[in-house]
Amino acid sequence: MKIAISGLNNTDNPAPGIGVAKSLKGHNLIGLSYDANEPGIYQGLFEKVYLMPYPSLGYEEFKQRISYIKEKSNIEAIIPTLDAELPLYIKYQNEIEKLGIKTYLPSLECFEMRDKSKLPEFSKKLGVKHPKTIQITSLDDLILATRTLGFPIMVKGNYYKAYKAYNLDEAIEYYYKISNEWGFPLLAQQVISGVEINYVGLGDGKELIAGVGIKKLSTTELGKVWSAVSIDNKALFEVSKKFVETIGWRGAFEFEAMSDGKDIYLIEINPRFPAWVHFATMLGINLPEMMIKLIQGEKVEKKYDYPLEKMYIRYVEETMADFKDFTTLISKKEL
Amino acid sequence: MLLDEMVIDENNVGFIPSLGISFEVNETAKRIIELIKEGKSKEDIVKIISDEFDVSWGEAYADVEDFFIKLKVYGLIQ
Repeated sequence: MKIAISGLNNTDNPAPGIGVAKSLKGHNLIGLSYDANEPGIYQGLFEKVYLMPYPSLGYEEFKQRISYIKEKSNIEAIIPTLDAELPLYIKYQNEIEKLGIKTYLPSLECFEMRDKSKLPEFSKKLGVKHPKTIQITSLDDLILATRTLGFPIMVKGNYYKAYKAYNLDEAIEYYYKISNEWGFPLLAQQVISGVEINYVGLGDGKELIAGVGIKKLSTTELGKVWSAVSIDNKALFEVSKKFVETIGWRGAFEFEAMSDGKDIYLIEINPRFPAWVHFATMLGINLPEMMIKLIQGEKVEKKYDYPLEKMYIRYVEETMADFKDFTTLISKKEL
Repeated sequence: MLLDEMVIDENNVGFIPSLGISFEVNETAKRIIELIKEGKSKEDIVKIISDEFDVSWGEAYADVEDFFIKLKVYGLIQ
């Protein structure tokens, strides 16, 4: 199958596309990139790479480009992996399908249900706890939130970035740092002490098909996982399963939670594969491959078991590419 | 309690499979954990540690007490 994958920025703040591509090596892969500097373009994983218009330009721009790519490379499916582009893909999934390109995404309703601002209500539905969260759109809101929640406090963007502030000065600094880059609203959130655990899973719209749980052992300064260990946390598995069954989630997801050893606190549900998805593949749970099988209408066996105490390790590697490839991609928008 | 699921390997590292956290333990700690898992009371553990490691009851009591506090701080026992 010819599959297009986005999210090729394989830096120390990696996008999930390369993990997905490595899991789908047996297929003909097409890379969709937003910047010719993205390292994943040059790793030899894609038979062709196209530059894409930014999602903020709207569906018409996107449609024009994707129709061209369909015509030129005959892509049969797309796996989008970036938060910024997912709303567009989800909203227009039926239109994309009409162009002859299959996706495996949740409905817009499901997607919006797990929005950060709706998690307090949604976590009740799932029967898990959620740190107290206050939406903030002004400095006054932030100050009030710090009075309610105390310190330390998490200052978070609605889509990206989260910082722990130990006093008002720090909270204000992060407030400007996030809002200048990503806009409003921001969220002020109670800090939960405990262990951060994550689960990557795949739902078919009814049931959880497969998944893997991890605990991050070390992270980069941006909080991106650098090493991790596979875990078996029954509560995390059960709540991930319930998440899929309760709202009928279709597609990939990452369930981020904190555990104090007794309770699970829902932190966030990402509507896509995480950048560490290839770890699940290495553990024998190839979620992107399962997704492709579901796209093709094949039956996929549920798979919940995987080896425990296996370590995931990221490392740095160098490669060499022709500068001409870089300039070709910039000038012709395809390589 | 989390301590029940701790698995100690040949390198004396105790691993909690549900949370992915690990602790380095010495021989005394390893033995105390074994005894807790067997359901022994704190008093019994003090006596056994005192006998097996050839230390006075007082010294064993202080070490066991200190270790129980650490287990509580790490959330491994209630």
